[in-house]
Amino acid sequence: MRAETLKGHLDFLLLAILADEPAHGYRVIEELKRRSAGAFELPEGTVYPALHRLEESGLLASSWASETGRRRRVYRLTSRGRRALAGARSEWRGFAKAIEAVVA
Amino acid sequence: MSERYLGELKAELGAVGIRGSRRRRILAETADHLHESADPARFGAPKLIAARFADELATSGARRAAFSSFVVLAPAGVLYVVLFGLIRTWPDIASARFLPLAICVAFAMVLAPQVAFAAGLLAVARAWRLRPERASPAGEIIVLRRRSAVALGSGAAAFGAIAVYASEYSASLPGWWQDMAYGSAGTAFVALGGAGVALARTARLQPQTAGRGGGLFDDLEPVLDVIPLRLRGHPWLLCLLVAGAAAAAALLAGGPGEGPRNAAFEFVTVCAGFFALGGFLGLKD
Repeated sequence: MRAETLKGHLDFLLLAILADEPAHGYRVIEELKRRSAGAFELPEGTVYPALHRLEESGLLASSWASETGRRRRVYRLTSRGRRALAGARSEWRGFAKAIEAVVA
Repeated sequence: MSERYLGELKAELGAVGIRGSRRRRILAETADHLHESADPARFGAPKLIAARFADELATSGARRAAFSSFVVLAPAGVLYVVLFGLIRTWPDIASARFLPLAICVAFAMVLAPQVAFAAGLLAVARAWRLRPERASPAGEIIVLRRRSAVALGSGAAAFGAIAVYASEYSASLPGWWQDMAYGSAGTAFVALGGAGVALARTARLQPQTAGRGGGLFDDLEPVLDVIPLRLRGHPWLLCLLVAGAAAAAALLAGGPGEGPRNAAFEFVTVCAGFFALGGFLGLKD
């Protein structure tokens, strides 16, 4: 899938991945690839600006954690982020259902 | 390999205005990522990553700065109106300690709040329109920052003017009003200064996305939709409409004695303000 197509949905996908448990950037990207079975291809580094921006918007929070002797920035969903995710999920399901009804 | 990549990324981040703790954090996260993947090519070119950071953080930062400027300016505006309303009898202009300064201050007291109000509203209108966007064109962000800066600067000028006015007419104004004017000016300077520092921080970022983006009529679309006139593409017509509305308000407020003079003054100053600041604030697009 082209990166441009994915770009409009990236925030939603990142929030969905972090809803399960806090994770560092590399783990988020790996999870994105795993869940999409490799369909979402984009330069891995472009996920980090989105994580920073979502944190500035108050949807994510982050802190340094020490893991195997390395400092890693771990991101987690805030309560505002959970509400935003719930809204985005509901909107997406309605949209997908409507598209499916038309093209099926 | 990773060291070289990190060096290039550091330079590119600096080139787009990302320095200090933000850059250290990005480099630490990148180093951690490359330790796992060991493939800088998959991470993306340093120039692309730096540009993406600048675009996304500049867009959200400028938007946030516009909203927080307005949050500071709105109560400051109410305080300013209250201060004006508390003066029952205005001192004779000639009784100032230094008349030329008093005349300049009197003009600033009338003009600066209006500029702050207009620029602040325009900043919020654009910030609201850019709400769903992750990365806006650089031109749009620069105009948004200018509107916020002009709003904050004019707000500070208005309170500075009222403090100087209190000092110039200290013999004619009640002591409690002077104390209130100095106290309000001090409080406003602190609040507006805080918003100004936040704006200056985000203004260091240099967004890289090219493109025209939207203009004044896109910012004002929700308002323009209810006006039964074809204003889109005619900024001077919009200016005349606003100037006419301001003049009508001044005419009604001033009554038969001062109304016509105040209305003419309002009309001319709105048009002059549009002419002088229109390009800078993106009003002529």
